[in-house]
Amino acid sequence: MLVGSPIGDAMKNIGDAMNNTEWAFPLAECFHIAAFAFAIGTIAVVDLRLLGLGITRQSAAQLLKDTHKWTLWGLVVVLFAGVPIYISQPEIYNVNSAFWFKMYCILAAIVFHYAVLRPVVRAGPSPMVAKLIAIVSLLLWTGTVFGGLFIAFV
Amino acid sequence: MDPAIALQSIGFLTDFRESAMVYPIVMATHLTCIALFGGMILLTDLRLLGVALTSTPVSDVVNGLRWWKRIGFVIMVGCGLMLACSEAVKYAPNPFFWAKMGLLFLVGVHAVAFKPEVYDHPEKLDSGLTSKAKVAAWCSLIIWISLPIMGRLIAYYEPKDKNLQPAQAQVQVLTPEIARK
Repeated sequence: MLVGSPIGDAMKNIGDAMNNTEWAFPLAECFHIAAFAFAIGTIAVVDLRLLGLGITRQSAAQLLKDTHKWTLWGLVVVLFAGVPIYISQPEIYNVNSAFWFKMYCILAAIVFHYAVLRPVVRAGPSPMVAKLIAIVSLLLWTGTVFGGLFIAFV
Repeated sequence: MDPAIALQSIGFLTDFRESAMVYPIVMATHLTCIALFGGMILLTDLRLLGVALTSTPVSDVVNGLRWWKRIGFVIMVGCGLMLACSEAVKYAPNPFFWAKMGLLFLVGVHAVAFKPEVYDHPEKLDSGLTSKAKVAAWCSLIIWISLPIMGRLIAYYEPKDKNLQPAQAQVQVLTPEIARK
């Protein structure tokens, strides 16, 4: 589909670089892991606060405001490191059920974080709603990590 | 007998290694701890450097996350120990594994060096960050970013003479899963 298009060419070049350079793939993985620690760790601090745990002397809205820059940069690096990993062997990932589980989880997690969690937390949710969105958020991000690990095992 | 072979031949570790589900679940739990609790360590470091969570007092960040990081650390190390012990023969000659163990040792050194003055009395930092707190944060950042990187690189080490290694030859007798292949 993309063969011959500029995007297709770029993908092929990135894929070739990933496959032909010994250190490129592990390097991308290292960035991927360090960045998801930043992204998910900062989100987890907000989720814990919504559950009434962790840094309880600060409001969830303020914690969200103060961590959002780090969460966003973490996610950007996660994606920039993850896409080349996929492009290196798309045909392997395309038929991997854990990969698709991970993709649905991360898509749902990102949409949920920006479209639901952020506006709700800023509006000041009731304790019940706060706990509910925290649990959904933690499950989606944990599911993403589990899906990623299981790619190597299915 | 090679201690690495003896270790990974312990009944439950053999079962664990050969389990189709339990082994990856423990590994995924190890990885999830890196995301949830490793991220909290990084965030604490950034607070001590004065670049993140600046509207929250240092003591609230350090005290609020202390027990979560401890619980996470125990689960993370527990899962990691099971993974390493069950594959002891593979891990024993792996330089990245030993680099990771060295970094874990530095985690202990870091605690001894900085716990009394920084982490045990974070309220003293609420009025202003000391240079000792910043050194503690930088050391922690370097150690904790290097740890998962070394962990990942463990998978990329291949012994040069794979077939000539006595440990590898013996393990084929000891694990029916490999023998079947």
